[in-house]
Amino acid sequence: MQSHFVLLVLFAFFVSLIFAVIAKDGVKEQLRLGGLLFAGFVGSAIVLGWLMYPLPL
Amino acid sequence: MRATAAEKGKEGTQTGALVLLCLASWAVPGAGDLWQGRFSKGLVFIVALPLMYAIGLGIQGRLFPLFPIDPADPLVALAALADLGIGALYFIAGALGYGTGDVRAVTYEYGNAFLIVAGLLNMLVVIDAYDVALGRK
Repeated sequence: MQSHFVLLVLFAFFVSLIFAVIAKDGVKEQLRLGGLLFAGFVGSAIVLGWLMYPLPL
Repeated sequence: MRATAAEKGKEGTQTGALVLLCLASWAVPGAGDLWQGRFSKGLVFIVALPLMYAIGLGIQGRLFPLFPIDPADPLVALAALADLGIGALYFIAGALGYGTGDVRAVTYEYGNAFLIVAGLLNMLVVIDAYDVALGRK
């Protein structure tokens, strides 16, 4: 397994899962927070990746 | 006077139980939640955290040794502390020869991130179990 993107998604999944389970008690709330965190992690990584694309100038 | 002594004894027992709870929760991820009867949370932790750690080992991450502490490289000591956060798995993996890390591997840094973050997440789980035991949550 050498794909950086797959590893990024896996990493985001595990961190979101643990954060959501620690922070919330109900399954629905956990799913909602976990989904938001996961989307935030993956989305921000993609956006930051593209922003850094032209670097170094 | 007698009531005070009884209260002190009760407090001591509670402190002992809390220390034991935190130690169990650190040694086996999720054990603290299982102990407190929060089975679904405990099961998630006992599966997800060791799996994350195993992935980190599988993709050539390195288990940083706690000793000797090199003052010139303090980040290694911090990484070792974070690795140690996962509990018994740190020692088991080390004893079985895992976690030597291959700095030439493409996934080396990712492996380190998985190992370090799994340890830190388990520390959060320990703090969560402690808070629940104290009735703060």
